[in-house]
Formats: sequence, structure tokens, C-alpha cells
Amino acid sequence: MSAVLALLAQILHLGLMLVAAPAVAAVLDWLDARWSGRAGPPILAPWRDLVRLSRKQPVMVESVSVVARLMPTVGLGATLAAAALVPSFTLGMALSPLADVLVIVALLTIARVAAALGALDAGAALPGLAAENASALAVLAEPALMLAVVALALIGGSFNLDLIVGQQREGLLLPAAASAMALTAMLALVFAEASGADDGLDMMLSGTSLAMARMTGWLRRLVWIDLIGSLFVPIGMATADNFPVPWLIGLAWWFVRLGAFILGLSAVQALLGGVPRHSLADLIGVAALLALLATVMVLAGAGGA
Amino acid sequence: MSDPILLFLIVDAAALVLLGVCASAVPSAACGFVTTMLSGLGGLLCLPPLLMRATPTAFVIPVGPPGLSLHFALDPLSGFFLLIVFLSGTAIAALQATANPPSAIQLGRLTALTIAGSGLALLAADGVTLTIGVAVACGIRWLPRPAAGPLLIPLLLLAAVCLLTPSGFAPRFDAVRAAPVDADRAIAAAALTIAAVVGLAWNVPAWAGSGWAGSGWAGSASGPIGSVPTGTVATGSVTAGPVTAASVTAGAARTGSAWAGSAWAGSAPETANSCESGAGSWVAAALGAGVLIPLGGYLLLRVIADLSSSTTQTGCGFVLLLAGAAVAVIQAWRAAGHPDIDGSLVRLTQRQTGLMMASTGLALIARAADLPDAAAFALAAALLSAIGGAASGVVASFAVHAIGASTGTYRLSRLGGLIHTMPVASAALAAGLLGLSAVPPGVGFAGLWLLLQSILSGPRTGGLLFQLPLALTAGALALSAALTTAGAVRLAGVALLGRPRTPQGAGAHESKPPSRLILLTLAGITVVTGILPGALLWLIASPAIRAMAGAASGMRVGLTLLVPSSTSPSYLALPVFALLALATGMAMLLARRTRQEAKTAGPWSDGMEPPPGLPFGDPAAQSVGAGFLPAFPAPAWPGPPRLPGFAPPRPPSATAVVWLLIAAFAALLLALALVG
Repeated sequence: MSAVLALLAQILHLGLMLVAAPAVAAVLDWLDARWSGRAGPPILAPWRDLVRLSRKQPVMVESVSVVARLMPTVGLGATLAAAALVPSFTLGMALSPLADVLVIVALLTIARVAAALGALDAGAALPGLAAENASALAVLAEPALMLAVVALALIGGSFNLDLIVGQQREGLLLPAAASAMALTAMLALVFAEASGADDGLDMMLSGTSLAMARMTGWLRRLVWIDLIGSLFVPIGMATADNFPVPWLIGLAWWFVRLGAFILGLSAVQALLGGVPRHSLADLIGVAALLALLATVMVLAGAGGA
Repeated sequence: MSDPILLFLIVDAAALVLLGVCASAVPSAACGFVTTMLSGLGGLLCLPPLLMRATPTAFVIPVGPPGLSLHFALDPLSGFFLLIVFLSGTAIAALQATANPPSAIQLGRLTALTIAGSGLALLAADGVTLTIGVAVACGIRWLPRPAAGPLLIPLLLLAAVCLLTPSGFAPRFDAVRAAPVDADRAIAAAALTIAAVVGLAWNVPAWAGSGWAGSGWAGSASGPIGSVPTGTVATGSVTAGPVTAASVTAGAARTGSAWAGSAWAGSAPETANSCESGAGSWVAAALGAGVLIPLGGYLLLRVIADLSSSTTQTGCGFVLLLAGAAVAVIQAWRAAGHPDIDGSLVRLTQRQTGLMMASTGLALIARAADLPDAAAFALAAALLSAIGGAASGVVASFAVHAIGASTGTYRLSRLGGLIHTMPVASAALAAGLLGLSAVPPGVGFAGLWLLLQSILSGPRTGGLLFQLPLALTAGALALSAALTTAGAVRLAGVALLGRPRTPQGAGAHESKPPSRLILLTLAGITVVTGILPGALLWLIASPAIRAMAGAASGMRVGLTLLVPSSTSPSYLALPVFALLALATGMAMLLARRTRQEAKTAGPWSDGMEPPPGLPFGDPAAQSVGAGFLPAFPAPAWPGPPRLPGFAPPRPPSATAVVWLLIAAFAALLLALALVG
């Protein structure tokens, strides 16, 4: 029975992620407009965009290879796999044994690599430049993210996300200072990500491929939000075999977490503005330093001091 | 059972030495064929002791002065590395044997003697035999250009073993193990070994790219694959010679474009260094990746981890850890910025040496702290790095050679669009790069996971000064992984994707069928290694890990890697691959349902008119891989002080905030050091 519930929770989680990803994008756009005093786009706009794009006849550069045709799909698949592994409202889903934090980071890397390869295959100047820029930033951002999750794994004693979240839920994820440092690093990375580090990679895409690239970006942002939310604020998360009331509570808390994060991110962006492209490396560098500091503090056992 | 196998292995290595010495008396194709057979036989001979978990055996050949007979031994560690060396050697020799036209006889000699010397070194059970083996493997590589430095490598190793040998004994490994020497001598021996291993891995590109091709080696052949005229390859003259016209025609025929050869001849300024490595470079690179770098890993494990006293291993471990992390970062950085595809690949394979050094260091630290599980993780990472580096490095070297031989250049800025004209070589190169980078389902990611797992399970004692190197190593490994991924994307994206940049690139062609078969087989092995790392480690590496780590537990059979207990989750490589494939398949199905027939269009150059003679756009407008790395930090250091009143007040900038944060970080570290 518990296996069936775990599978059911997994399917529900994946469905929620797929539905919520465009919704988060829509709400963020709407809030962004509202902070600026404009009316804002309709909430259903992202879904309409997806449908419209999937109905359009795509235009492909004649020199592209099968890589350019496949890469949007691979990117979406990798991001979808990462989304399946990050818990939203419950722990102990069917895929939780695979939910290794390093694997999740690597799956997000695969999606980025796929986008870069697709851009390079287009054989045009600007997508190639965008791929170079994205790669240069990823050289800083990926170690920072990996160090942050390593710090949390060192605190939790395992790379498995479910185990780390479980310990955090029971208040065992100490030292708190190192945990806070890792949280700050990850928030800085999310802020850098939201400032459009991958702009231009989908310049040569159209039709269904562009719809997939858009969905990949939205899903990636939701994975980030969920990862941070479950690692640092796992309030109300259920376990898969506690059905149905804890599930409903977990779902309600997930919506609250999501709403709070969206509001916070939107407010920060409205107050501080987007990070200029030339300053992104500085922001990511600071995040990497914070993540390294968190790792040092955990290893030296001085985080609780 | 392993006694006769040891004897056969010694005879096999001796036969390879004989073949290498007499190579000029044997036809080139026959030399390659016999080397393939002997090397393959050696690989097959290594399998039974590994699979049947045979006990270590020894054999003495009474040759030499009294007390200095040649001692040989076969144990799980040497058997594991022998398997890697012989299988890599088999692949390299097979490609040479199937080359058309046949490869130079000197290259056949190089291959035979390098494999033979490495085999002897791996079978050695005393310092003299080890020195002879390494001297044979190294000496032939620098024979055309005598230099003192490379020949120091065997002497450094002999000195290291002698330092570890107690007074009054011959430098035999069993004597060293029986009576460990004091800490100073052990640390000196470790330093000498590290220097020898770094020298072993480092000198490959210098030898390969420093004009060997022009000094008679490449003149005899344009390489085993392809049929580009020798002069074109050796001199790097890309646009001159008969290749140009043929390639322009072929390129136009394949792509449907109407490129004008004259336009290309006039717009091809880069001719220097385009194919500087020559025909011998791929053999050197492949032997470096598949034979010499694993041999270096073995030497680290044997001399420092096995023969040294356990009391000195923590210090040696930290030195190895930091040195390995530095090597991994530096080589990954250099690989991601190198202008040539072959040079970049050599640096990516050299990075494996850094990973093996760091893994060995972690294993020593964990073993000294009596943490066998952490030591087992680190040793598994070292052995997996050796497997992955060898398989991926060899297949990528072959693919790069095929590309260089067909296009006449290794320069990234002159390649492009090869996936259309050389799909097999492109797939092989992609598989090799996947194995070398840290992205699942590649074997490189499995090695990284094991290394970080070892840090996770490592000792937590000793305060900040003890733990800081571990944290820095974790950061360096993460940075190295990101740099390697950037380098791999750069190589694949610029060389294989996009549009061709030269007529030669447009007219490139695949290698001959036997070479293609070898490429595809090796690419398949590389991918399977990444998908089933746990099973591979269990099959051929678990006895060595158990013997070195002293752990009876910690090994789990099947699709997973090592895990500390049966209840703890681990990296499930095959299920992760299946999940990725399933998710991608679902996305693909969705796309297939909604996708309409695409309308094709010419390359978009942002509204600009195509240059004269290039109606389909300027291929040189594509990325040439120059911006894949972030700008190296160049802080504005404070200049000489100014008198107050003359300097206008400046508002604090974002850079100042960053530097303030760095200063705060350093101050916090200092405070932590003082407290803890």
C-alpha cells in the first residue's frame, strides 16, 4: 500500500510541478507589473503562449543538425527529471531513493548544457555569444551551488535530499549558522538566475522547440524555489504513507511557501532592480564564497558557535 | 592458478619489449597486429585472477647482482591497472594496425615499448624492476629528442623506493612493508613519487606538440586514419595544396553551398599551429591517457599508500589532496581555454591525474583516521578515475585524430559542423567528453560523487586547520567539474556543431570502416562504464579496494556505487539514466504530437548581408570558443597613497563591496582558526 501511495504522491507531485511552473511565471510577471504601477498580463498568458507556440509552424536553420532539434527536448527532460526528485508537499515519494542533491544539480547542468549546445548548433553569432556568456557564468554558479548542497549534506550526513529535509523538519539540521550561510548563497544564486543569465540561448528557436525552452526555464525556476523551500522551510511536509489529511496540509503549506517565495523574489527585484549583466559574476562569486564558508564552518564544527 | 598467469604476463611483457626493439625488422602492419595480439592477451590474462579473487603471487628471476634479482608480483591492485593498460594498449595498437596507409614504424615501436614498460612496472615487486619498467616506458617517448628531465622519472622512483627501504636490505617491496622507515624518509619518498607522477603525465603534450612531426616522424605517414596529404598535415598549411580544391568541391556538394575557394584562400589568416602536433601526437596522447596516466595512479597508490608507513600517511595525504585539487583545477582551466582541440583534450586527460592524487590523499587521511568506508570511497574514486580517464581519453584521442587527419587542422577556430560529415567520429568524441566531464551518466560524475562522498564520510576531528584542506578540496573539485563541463561543451559545440568554417571542414570524411568500428566500440564501452560504475568496480576493483582500505564491508553489488550500509541511499547510475531517458522520451513524444513540419531558412546574421562569395553567411561569425571562461579576477590593487585633499571622494562601488566581503571572509576564517 505504501508503495502505491508513494507512486501516487510522485505522480501528483509531477503534475503539480508541471501546472505550477507557468503559473509561477505568470504571477511573477503580474507582480512585477503591479509593483511598477501597470495592470500586468493575464495569469493565463503563459499557458496561452505555450499553446500558441506549439501550433505555429517552426522555422529551422537549414544547417542545423539533429542536436538542435533534440536539445530543447533533452533540456526539458533533464529539468523534468530534476523536478521529479525535489519534494514539494511530501517526502518518501517513489523516486526519493534517486533524490541525490548532486544528481539534482547535475540534471540542471545537463539542461543548461543542452541549451548551450542547441545555441551553438544554430551557427549564428548571437546565440553563440549567449552560450559563451552562460557557460562563463555557470563556471562560477555551479561550484557555488554544489558547495552549498555539499555543506547541507555534510550537516545532514547524506547526499539524499529526503534525508536532509527529514532532519531539517525535525530541527536537527545544525549548525544553524552554516545552514543560514548556505541559504544565503542559494538565494543569491536564485537572484542571479532570475536576472536572466541565460538570455539569448533560445534566440533561434521557434514553435514547439521555443515552447519547450520556455517551459524548461519556468520549471527550472520552480525547482530552485522548491529546493530552497524544502531544504530550509520544510514546514508541514507530509510523508507519502500518511494519506490523506497530512497530504492536504502539505499541499496547503506548499502553496503558502510558494506564494511567500514569489512575493519575496518579486519584491526584491522591484526594490533593488535586476542585477546588471556585468555584476552577475560578482554576485555569484560572493555566493560561492558564502557556500565555501558554510562548508568550512560545518567541517570545522564551528557553525554553532 | 595465478602463478602461471604471472609467468605468462612477464613473458608477454618481454615479448612486447622484443617486438619494440625489433620493430624496424617487422612490417608496420604486422608490428601493429602483433602488438594488438600481445596486448590483448595480457588483458585476458589479467581477468581470471581479478574475477576469481585470486591471492597475490610472486615470482623471482635470478638475474642481476646478488640480492638484486628481478622480483615480480601480481596482486589485485597491479592486476586492476594491468587490465587497464593492456586493454588501452590493445585499442591503440589495433587502430595502428588497421591504419591505411600504415602508421610509421617508430609509432609501432613507441606503442609496444610503452605498453611493455608499463606492464613491467606494474608487475614489479622491487625498486630495480620498477625502475627498469618505467625507464622502458618513458625512455622511448623521449628518444627522438633526448632530454634530461624525462629520464629523471625512473630515477626519482628508484630513489623513492630506496628511501623507503630499511638499511641493509635490498629495495624489495616485501622488505619495505615489513620494516617501515621513519617519517622524514617516508615524506621525502612521497615527494619524489609525486614529482615522478606529475612528470609522467605532464610531459606528454610538450613531446607531442613540439615539432616531433616535423622531425621525421610525421613525414613518414599522415596518420592511420584519413588520407590528407602529409604536407598539409605536417605544416598546417590549410588552404594550400591539392586538398583545398577537392575539399571545396566536396564541401559544396555536401552542403549545397556555393563557396568560392578564392574567398577562403583570402580569408584564412590562421595557418600557424593549426596542426602542429603531427601524426605522432595522437599516439602520444592516447598512450598518455590510456597507459601512462593510469601507471601514475598506480605508482601513487603503490609507493605512497601501500609501501609507506601508516604513521606518515596523514601528512602525505594532505599534500596529495591539495596538490591533486590544484592540478585538477589548473588543467581543467587550461583545457577550457586552449585554442586547439588536441591540446585541450590532453589537458582534460591530465586532469585525471589530479583527481587520482586527490583521491589517494583522501584515502590516506581516512585510513589513518581508521575510517575504512571513507577510504574505500576515495580508493574507488581513484580507480574509477583511472578507468574513466583511460577509456574516455583513448576514444577521444582517436576521434580527435580522425578529425585532424580529415580536416587538416586541430585549431578550434577552423573546425565546425563535423557532425554532418563525420558522425561516427563526432559521436565518439562526444562519448569521450561525456566520460571526462562531470555530467551524468558519464563515469566522471560517478568519480566526483565518490570523491565528495569520501569527504562526507571523512574524519571530522582536528579543528579548522585539519578541516580547511578538505573544504578547499571540495570547492576545488566542484570548480574543476564546472570547468571541465565548460571545456567539453566548448569542444563539442565549436568543433562538431554549427556550420563548417573552412572548405576542409565541409569536405571532411569519415575514417575507414575498421577504425570506425573501433571508435564505436570504445565509445560504447565508455558510455556503459558511466551507466554501470558500481558493477564494474565490483567486478574488477573490489579486491584492490578491500586490500588497500582494509574494509570488509562497504561494498554493495549491483547498479549502485559503494555505500556505507545497506540502508543508506547512494548514486544509482542506471536508474538516474533511465529517469533522464524516460523524461526526455516523454518530452519527445509530446513534441512529436504537436510538432508541425518545419520551414527551413538560411543562416540568420541579424539582418546583415552575407559577405561577397559567401552567400550562406560567414562561418567565421560563429563562436570560436574564446569566451567560455569567466574573466580572470583582476582586482584593482591600491596604488601609492595620495595626499589628503587631492583625491576627490569616491562613492563606494560594487567592486568595493565584493572586496569588503572577501576581506570579511578572510577575517572570519582567521577568527575561526583562533577560536578552534
